[in-house]
Amino acid sequence: MIGVQDFIGYYDWTFEYLRRNYGEQAVHDYWLRAISQDSQIHARQLIGAKGFDGMREYWAHTLTAEEAGYTFDQTNDYFRIDMFDCPSKGHLIKRGLAAYHDYCEHCMGWLKPLMDDAGFIIDHEHNHAGQCWWEMHRVTDRLTEPPPNRGPNDVRNLPNWQQERHDVYLNSEHLEGDVGTET
Amino acid sequence: MSAGDFYFAINATFRFIHDTYGKDVLIDYWTSMAHEYHAAVAARFREGGLAEVQRYWADYFAEEPGGDVHVGLSDMGVEIDVRDCPAIRWLTEVGREIVPYYCEHCHYVSTALADQAGMCFALTGGGGTCHQVFSLRGDPA
Repeated sequence: MIGVQDFIGYYDWTFEYLRRNYGEQAVHDYWLRAISQDSQIHARQLIGAKGFDGMREYWAHTLTAEEAGYTFDQTNDYFRIDMFDCPSKGHLIKRGLAAYHDYCEHCMGWLKPLMDDAGFIIDHEHNHAGQCWWEMHRVTDRLTEPPPNRGPNDVRNLPNWQQERHDVYLNSEHLEGDVGTET
Repeated sequence: MSAGDFYFAINATFRFIHDTYGKDVLIDYWTSMAHEYHAAVAARFREGGLAEVQRYWADYFAEEPGGDVHVGLSDMGVEIDVRDCPAIRWLTEVGREIVPYYCEHCHYVSTALADQAGMCFALTGGGGTCHQVFSLRGDPA
């Protein structure tokens, strides 16, 4: 049986299976059609109906179930997650698993199309070491630079934040080059 | 205990591969997973024999959320009596449309696992209840 206890391991392996047989675009198609539009249909329904409150409801359930280390920050203008201990990437790191070359990319792979459809844009950064931050804004509230330090829970304040390669997204678009935010 | 909502992704993954690439590729996906991702499990079975098979599956089902599965060693081999499959229960309880070939993954993954370990695998039933047997080659499973 393929169970859920080691799901993360073969989720990562599945990305690589698709990439080596059908190319990189197949992995992105998988994140869109299988994960964003099928598996996570409940997230689409919640966020589409309730906006920021739906995001809080969805991630409170799923991050608690996955025993993540995280904080939420919600205002009238954004919903924010600071992830200081990602259970998903952490599972792979602890077991030395890295079948696919960019596991962390799957989150944007399924969340961007969901947020596009729900009328939100994503500002996001991850360091490939199990730490990241997310801010979802309304599509009308585009930023010109990554958001300022959000206080004591901001994952960018951690002493080990500046490790590994950083990927940064602004207004749901990937910023090229070495653009990790210093705080 | 593990996050049961991952069953949604397993079901969706099977549907995506089947609908995009066809049934043969889905079968290849399952057998490739058994040969690559589960290679260490197959090695455990090969080295530890049926006692290790029993230990593995008893521990495995104990960690899945819900369900009712008994794992025992008999003259037949390691018998896995799935009285209430945790995956089928989870997906059914929230009204997810389960792909009609969902249960086939157990046959293909475990057959490939058993083969690598010098064992045989047999499965009868499906849809939430089934009987699975891992046996040594030559035993009447």
